[in-house]
Amino acid sequence: MQNEIIFAILALLTIVSSIVMISAHRPIDSALAFIVALICIAALFGLVNATFLFVVQIIIYAGAILSLILFIVMFLNIKDENLPDEKNKNWWLLGTSLIVAPFGAILIDLIVRSDIAVNMVPAEGFGGIKDVGLTLFSKWVLPFELVSILLLVALVGAVTLAKRDN
Amino acid sequence: MLQEYMILSIILFCIGVVGLISRRNIIVIYMSIELLLNAVNLSLVAISADLADTSGQVISLIIIAIAASEAALFMSLFVVLFRNKSSLDADLFDMLGSKK
Repeated sequence: MQNEIIFAILALLTIVSSIVMISAHRPIDSALAFIVALICIAALFGLVNATFLFVVQIIIYAGAILSLILFIVMFLNIKDENLPDEKNKNWWLLGTSLIVAPFGAILIDLIVRSDIAVNMVPAEGFGGIKDVGLTLFSKWVLPFELVSILLLVALVGAVTLAKRDN
Repeated sequence: MLQEYMILSIILFCIGVVGLISRRNIIVIYMSIELLLNAVNLSLVAISADLADTSGQVISLIIIAIAASEAALFMSLFVVLFRNKSSLDADLFDMLGSKK
């Protein structure tokens, strides 16, 4: 019962802050709203015993990626005339939600009708760093190595793109 | 608990798609993409907790790593685009390799 109440509060906060994120005019406002959404999602991870992902979400998303976004927003020194003037932004948002809503309704209806929950009882230490690490380095070694190559490519690509060409 | 998590994940995904389609500010578009990845992560973690299987959490760990590398690339793209056009309007960035 306690978990359901916490889940309801966190879900409401996540939805409200993501709506604020996509509808704010200035990018700094949407970045700050996005931090709230990410921390709520991290708490939702913690609610289902995924303790390692809880920490990773806070360190990488709310710590690294969001501070990178805020750094870039402040570094570019964006003024109001540099922002696209979206006069009909609210109408666009409303129209797109009317288009997307039926797809979401179909998916939610599918989830509500089907009985997908298995409710297995997790073992001791489920979702901890030892459990996740053992699975990562036994079953998922190849994706792990591919991710390391991807990070290297992203590093080189970011430096090459941002370099001033003379 | 799984059904509630899946419904929340679908709602977040729909909000992300709406932001991705209807906004013209490239930073907001980028954050909408991150919201889509987070919605998928949420459903993966919920399924992994329901099945008591850690593989779902490993997949979402890999997705977080992909999102981090994506962030680095997007940030350097923002710097280049803003330097060329001094605007964040996605409608202006339609040159795609053409000589200005």
